[in-house]
Amino acid sequence: MSLPRYATGRLLLGLGQVVGVATLVFVLTEALPGDAAVVIAGDQPDPERIAAVRTALELDRPAWQRYLDWLADLLRGDLGVSLVSGRPVADVLTANAGPTVLLAVLTLLLLVPLAVGVGMLAARREGGRLDRALSATVVGLYAIPEFALAVLLVALFGVHLGWFPPTAVGTGGNLLAQPAVLVLPLVVLLARPVCSLSRLTRAGMIEAAGSAYVAHARRLGVPGHRLWLGHALPNALAPVVQQLARTTDWLLGGVIVVEAVFVVPGLGTALVDAVTARDVPTIQGLCVLVAVVTVTVNLAADLVAFRLAPAAPVAR
Amino acid sequence: MSGVLLRVAALRAEAGGRRLVDDVSFTLAAGRVLALVGMSGSGKTTIGRALLGEAGPGVRLTGRVEVAGRPVDPAHPPPAGTVGYVPQQPSAVLNPVRRVGTVLHEIARRHLPPGGTWRERRDRPRRAVREALRRVALPTDRDLLRRFPHQLSGGQQQRLVVAHALLAGAHLLVADEPTTGQDNLTRRDVAAELSALAGAGMAVLLLSHDLHLVRAVADEMLVLHRGRRVEAGPTAEVFAAPRHEWTRRLLAAPPADARPGTASCLTEDRPGTPSRLAHDRPGTPSRLAHDRHTAPSRLAHERPGTPPCLTDDRPGTPERPSLLAVADLVAEHTGGGRRRTVLTGVGLTLAAGECLALVGRSGSGKTTLARCVAGLHRPRAGTVRLAGRPLATTLDRRDRADLAAVQYVFQDARASFDPGRPVLDQVARPAVRLGGRSVGAAREAARAVLDRVGLAGHLVTRDPGRLSGGELHRAALARALLAGPRVLICDEITAGLDAVTRDRILTLVDELRRADGLALLVISHDREVVARLADRVAVLHDGRVVEDGPAATMLTAARHSLSRSLLHDAAQGARQPHPHGDVSPTPATARRPAPDQHRRTPMCGPTSTGKSQLE
Repeated sequence: MSLPRYATGRLLLGLGQVVGVATLVFVLTEALPGDAAVVIAGDQPDPERIAAVRTALELDRPAWQRYLDWLADLLRGDLGVSLVSGRPVADVLTANAGPTVLLAVLTLLLLVPLAVGVGMLAARREGGRLDRALSATVVGLYAIPEFALAVLLVALFGVHLGWFPPTAVGTGGNLLAQPAVLVLPLVVLLARPVCSLSRLTRAGMIEAAGSAYVAHARRLGVPGHRLWLGHALPNALAPVVQQLARTTDWLLGGVIVVEAVFVVPGLGTALVDAVTARDVPTIQGLCVLVAVVTVTVNLAADLVAFRLAPAAPVAR
Repeated sequence: MSGVLLRVAALRAEAGGRRLVDDVSFTLAAGRVLALVGMSGSGKTTIGRALLGEAGPGVRLTGRVEVAGRPVDPAHPPPAGTVGYVPQQPSAVLNPVRRVGTVLHEIARRHLPPGGTWRERRDRPRRAVREALRRVALPTDRDLLRRFPHQLSGGQQQRLVVAHALLAGAHLLVADEPTTGQDNLTRRDVAAELSALAGAGMAVLLLSHDLHLVRAVADEMLVLHRGRRVEAGPTAEVFAAPRHEWTRRLLAAPPADARPGTASCLTEDRPGTPSRLAHDRPGTPSRLAHDRHTAPSRLAHERPGTPPCLTDDRPGTPERPSLLAVADLVAEHTGGGRRRTVLTGVGLTLAAGECLALVGRSGSGKTTLARCVAGLHRPRAGTVRLAGRPLATTLDRRDRADLAAVQYVFQDARASFDPGRPVLDQVARPAVRLGGRSVGAAREAARAVLDRVGLAGHLVTRDPGRLSGGELHRAALARALLAGPRVLICDEITAGLDAVTRDRILTLVDELRRADGLALLVISHDREVVARLADRVAVLHDGRVVEDGPAATMLTAARHSLSRSLLHDAAQGARQPHPHGDVSPTPATARRPAPDQHRRTPMCGPTSTGKSQLE
């Protein structure tokens, strides 16, 4: 199958998935037990508040009308109005997406070369001391939960040594204004994915380097670095790319623990706030956003994997 | 002829105290073809790899190998590119992720002299690639260069590997079993191709069991037995007057002499055949099969007069109730977003104790048909019945008895074994899973069956990686037999086996079906196998049976031109006008957009007795 054909098919499928998630999100709000307005309005609702929620959510209109409006508004990018702040949900999400996207992009920029490099180095020295040291380190890092590592780093570098600011309080969402606040969150975000990606790279490289096609290329006079980078690496990367999609997805969803510990005003924080305040329109907006991101990232990963494993049966 | 290009003196290879190659010496001049011939495990591939300066894990090489006057050993491999290697499975050496053209250009750039203008640096590799592709008769258009290796046919992949060697400027080409699993027409192409390479001044070392090929292209041959050289000389002389007993045995059943039915008689009469198979016959023939399926066995025994050697008594199709009945089978392959119909309403029947051979060019649907029977491929329409009862279309819906009843021996034996577990365990597994035996009893039974296929005790406790391809083929057969099947599907089970081993396997299979009433469905490109085993032959083309009939008729007087070109005796082919002209486009070529229909050279097939095409 040709790449454009495959891409078109996957894109249509992705659109279907997003519509499916949007529908599910709408149905879930409908399925809240009893009077949705009473539930949403909080633990001790006063009648005015209930009435306000009812108006905001237009609960007096039939469900199918509201569903069609919800989809139509989605298409226009209108996610409704926050029940808490009264601001449009789209604005709330845009404001909070900034720090999350910044952290995710920086993490990925550091992660890919680091993980692939570590994996290749370990594969090169398979069974040697360096391989064992690298493997022990990355697996050890993987074994520490984010909150533990975050608290540990804050205590050591933020408080005890005072090298980096322990939290992003005071930056007002513009993390780049004070780049030092990024260091500790980045380290925490890198710790786990480096392990999974480098282990996959290592395994793939060992297999590819021992393959008959690499031996064949060596016999034909292809020099060592080309064998390694041009012939073995592309074969090792297909599973890495798929795993990278999971990681990207995880990062863009806003890693709640990291944002909470470092007080980063990102999407994870927004989600926690919205759930605490029962701000249904914001929760719905976040769900749709996460769905779109997941579908897009996995679509990209599948397209890359399609090229990296042309002989494999394709994922549909 | 120019001077000696390759000199091998007193080459020895040892692994774990076992001698793989013992004191082998030979020389090879440019423009000549030398064939190393011997049983599987006789050390052919070890020698071939020693010329590349390679040794398998744990293999120690001693002795002297010189390529173009330069000593070669694992520490000093030959200069890159000077020795080309075409392995048994060419697909394994082609990088699955890289396009055909990219790799060709990379090799070309690597081996062209540096310097020149920018334009020269760009154009010279292109010209070199086109030239190399032309020499191996591959299309030189952009379409081929844009493809990935898996989008080429097996024959094209092999020619592509040769093109790599040509681009790298190889003086010596080591070709390991280049005709394994190829159909008759492709085998002729391979022969022509090797001859052409030698004609252009390359030295070719051919490692092969294919005596047709050896006879057609080799100037000289060297016979190996257990790593030792037992005989060497000009091919024509060795074929005409083999001096050593092993050579005689290897050449004993030259394909041209194999008439239906006679071969198994020869085996048993031949003195000193290592025929544990033949001797063990009374008693042993799988008790498993006996107690599991008494009905078909009785059928087989009741068959009037089945002396194993009489051709004319070969059972005709009627009278006997069919054990396996396939009707109106339609099967498709999906992929690339579209469906391709592979079988269009195929029907066949097979009685207990009968053997049906499926023949056809690559891509004609033989394997798909067999896979449908085995439940590995879900047909779109049609039924598969076993003893009158319809079989489920997929494996997971078949019960254990049905699973055991239809057993499949795959073409790629190595891929059908888990590389990490000893062969014995894997062979014993069906008896545990399907036969409900204890592990100990299953191992016992497995040892007995492995012994019958000629695999000794110490060999089978190893991991599959330590066994040769031919040995694994036999282990796979043993594994299938241990399930106690009623229908055995053999997909090219003798491909890549030497004459002696092949003889052994064929005798065993033949006995089993006669004694136990095993129904055999054999897929083979090898005319000899068909002649030895088959009662009936069905020729598949483009997903339908174009001709079907008793083996004796089909092998000598088939009506369809394709049947004739696939089945008829090579010698006969030479006498008659060659049927190439009326072979319609094969499914393989019709399916692939690129023009693969290059010249077929009837002259250079195994048909030619002399070496006329070499000069």
